[in-house]
Amino acid sequence: MEDMSDTRKLWTLLGVLLVVSFSVLIWSGTRIYEAAPPMPERVVAADGTTIYSRAEIEKGRQVWQSMGGMQLGSIWGHGGYVAPDWSADWLHREALAVLDGWSQAEDGVPYAELNAERQAALTGRLRRVMRSNTYDPETATITLPDERAQAIREVSAHYESLFGDDPATAELRENYAMKNGTVPDAEHRRVLSAFFWWTAWAATTERPNDTITYTNNWPHEPLVGNKPPASTFLWSAFSVTFLLAGIGLLGWHYAVTHDREEARVPLPEFDPMRHVKATPSMLATAKYFWVLLALFLVQILFGAMTAHYQVEGQLVYGYEMAEILPYSITRTWHTQLAVLWIAVAWLGTGLYIGPAVSGHEPRFQRLGVNFLWVCLLVIVVGSFAGQWFAVMQTLGLENNFWFGHQGWEYADMGRFWQWFLFIGLMLWLVLVGRALWPTLTQKSEMRSIIGLLFLSTVAIGLFFAAALMWNEHTHISMVEYWRWWLVHLWVEGFFEVFATAVIAFLFTRLGLLQAKTATVAVLFATIIFMAGGVLGTLHHLYFAGSPTPVLALGASFSALEVVPLAYIGFEAYHTYRLGGATPWMQRYRWPVMFFIAVAFWNLVGAGLFGFLINPPLSLYYMQGLNLTPLHGHTALFGVYGMLGIGLVLFCLRGMKPELAWHEGILKTSFWCLNIGLALMALLTLLPLGTMQLFASLEHGYAYARSAEFMQQPFVDLLVWMRVPGDTIFSIGALALVVFVAGLWLFPKREDEVPVAAEKDSRAGARAGD
Amino acid sequence: MIEFYAEIRLVHIWSVIASGTIFFLRGLALLAGQGKAPGRIAMSMPVKLTSYTVDTVLLTAALMLMTVVQQYPFIDPWLTVKVVLLAVYVGLGVAAFRFARTRAERAGLWAAALLVFLFIVSVARAHDALGIFAG
Repeated sequence: MEDMSDTRKLWTLLGVLLVVSFSVLIWSGTRIYEAAPPMPERVVAADGTTIYSRAEIEKGRQVWQSMGGMQLGSIWGHGGYVAPDWSADWLHREALAVLDGWSQAEDGVPYAELNAERQAALTGRLRRVMRSNTYDPETATITLPDERAQAIREVSAHYESLFGDDPATAELRENYAMKNGTVPDAEHRRVLSAFFWWTAWAATTERPNDTITYTNNWPHEPLVGNKPPASTFLWSAFSVTFLLAGIGLLGWHYAVTHDREEARVPLPEFDPMRHVKATPSMLATAKYFWVLLALFLVQILFGAMTAHYQVEGQLVYGYEMAEILPYSITRTWHTQLAVLWIAVAWLGTGLYIGPAVSGHEPRFQRLGVNFLWVCLLVIVVGSFAGQWFAVMQTLGLENNFWFGHQGWEYADMGRFWQWFLFIGLMLWLVLVGRALWPTLTQKSEMRSIIGLLFLSTVAIGLFFAAALMWNEHTHISMVEYWRWWLVHLWVEGFFEVFATAVIAFLFTRLGLLQAKTATVAVLFATIIFMAGGVLGTLHHLYFAGSPTPVLALGASFSALEVVPLAYIGFEAYHTYRLGGATPWMQRYRWPVMFFIAVAFWNLVGAGLFGFLINPPLSLYYMQGLNLTPLHGHTALFGVYGMLGIGLVLFCLRGMKPELAWHEGILKTSFWCLNIGLALMALLTLLPLGTMQLFASLEHGYAYARSAEFMQQPFVDLLVWMRVPGDTIFSIGALALVVFVAGLWLFPKREDEVPVAAEKDSRAGARAGD
Repeated sequence: MIEFYAEIRLVHIWSVIASGTIFFLRGLALLAGQGKAPGRIAMSMPVKLTSYTVDTVLLTAALMLMTVVQQYPFIDPWLTVKVVLLAVYVGLGVAAFRFARTRAERAGLWAAALLVFLFIVSVARAHDALGIFAG
């Protein structure tokens, strides 16, 4: 009775938490909308000549999106790491051009040759000129002094050369891993620079009646006086304090609940899932897992090519690969495939577990599963083809938004394909929902935990709709807001809830956990995750044209996201104990090992490497350096990739219960994937990111991302150090594929290997002691 | 990267020497006493891991040299020969350690692998596909 009320209280708390958090998140959206840097109708020089029009800036953004957008270089720090951040690069070049113009006119020498005193005088003047806000809201016009107009012409000429195939900038293109003729149309190149200019303008122009720029003074640029505003210090310090307070509170909670003995469940003598008869629709999910593995291998291949472009520019081991598959496309597919194959693991698991839970096979379920699978293939092939034509600049700007490349990292596919995927997810929801329905309507102990599993399924389905919230010309600050709903809330929020619920649920089904205990634990974990997770979304938006309250909320709540990770050792140890609870749990040894790896990388990749770049003051200097992929790889693959693999193995165990597993191959796979990932992080990303951080702190952000810095021999050497780790990682992935293929191609029944089985069960008994 | 050419080449050469030596010694140990102490040491995890580590370093250095000197397999014949024979060497090595049924079979495969290895070294030294047989 007390447990029931516990569960009810937790459900109420979760409900209230979600309502409050989402209200604040939506309110933050309205603040971002109101405070976003303005789009001018006209940009004019003091002499009255028009420099850019709004139409040109907007068309420039379309051109940028069509060539791969954030996948080639970055804007406001969001995007790729080899080519520069175009906003910071433009800003630096424009500042230097203005300074050179003045020093040539007044002193007859370039700025670099002036003495320190003169340089200080000119940078003082530059700061006044570049930081002052000359946007007139009445006429929606920005008026610039003539020297800036001249500087803009010079910088624009540089970009028009760079994005074409001018031999003068060929070396720079190679350094930036850009293909020759990235944007072949001259007019497109001109308007592209209009868009770059506008992003740099927002980064250096102070908000009306304020001393900070629209991007909270990002990027760090000493020439124009861009340095971290007071709010970044303040909220970084507070966020660390909140984190410590959260750790303290949760520690107290564990201390209080620690001694409450878990009600001992009489452990089943045999694997309760062993004799679950897989229904036709459950068996049909096998092909989801095959496709997933194929996508994983292809993802690794494109990852290797993307990394390789960093050292050879346009070549891959001597082959002129950039002409066919340029960096921008390999990186797009690498990042898209990461989300796609992990999502396929979720989809497959959901479809497999539905009928397994209820024992109910709805009519035409198998047809639905097969149909959805075909749709997924069509989406992958169709959206990838569109992206390729877009990057090759053959699709035309008018078709790009719907069928080509949207250029927003992780939300790159054309709108048509996003709708298609959304409808696919709705179909998935219906398929999983109708299979679970009989259990959901039954009053049983399991209802709450299945309810939570179902709710996370609904959330995964519905929240993808965030990707449909922007249009072709929506303000970039608002696109960023919704894009992070997708990347943060969808992936980091609801995937996490689904993961927690599904693992607890599986252990409950195996009879190792009591349904009530599991429900309370999962609800509690969900509340803790969501308390930080929903508003933590805003930590991606510190410098994307958001006002200070958004920075404050993002910093504070994202720090709380780390709180449960500090205690993940509890979960890992618990999982480990369950793994050895009974002799037959040996059958689940490798899924359990992958779940333990999830806990490890959650602490290291998400917790440590995530928090390293999380406080606003840190991110101010680190955004878009190699410390970002350090977190990205270890958190996305480390947590969700490992989890996806664990779930696949779990489903395969149920799908083919009578087969003996080739444990050796799985062991190789497990250790190679983990060691490979660790080496990638420690030999390349961490040292390279740290070197860049020093450069960013000492000389400004543009330098840390420049060809001058990135082409140093030592940086090349660090990039090469990826080879050992990546090779080991690839062996791990191949071993996994060999293992899964072996289940179909060379199946070995368990009773054919009595010695191994006996040995296994002895090992299991030991682990359980 | 050209700045580090000499160092990378040195790492490559020393890891070739280390790799070949480890293979030679493991084979010798296995032939001396499979199932006995030397054989067990040859196939023990630390020895295997050392061998994998050396080979990974070797491969990394090889790939780096390739992009520095801008010569590639399937374009430059001597590198094509090296890559193809590397596969043969690995195949013979695996056959010798894992699949050989008799001692004589193992000794034969091991010796053949070593000959291939030495020939690859001669190709590398001569920068010629014919290696030691080059005029």
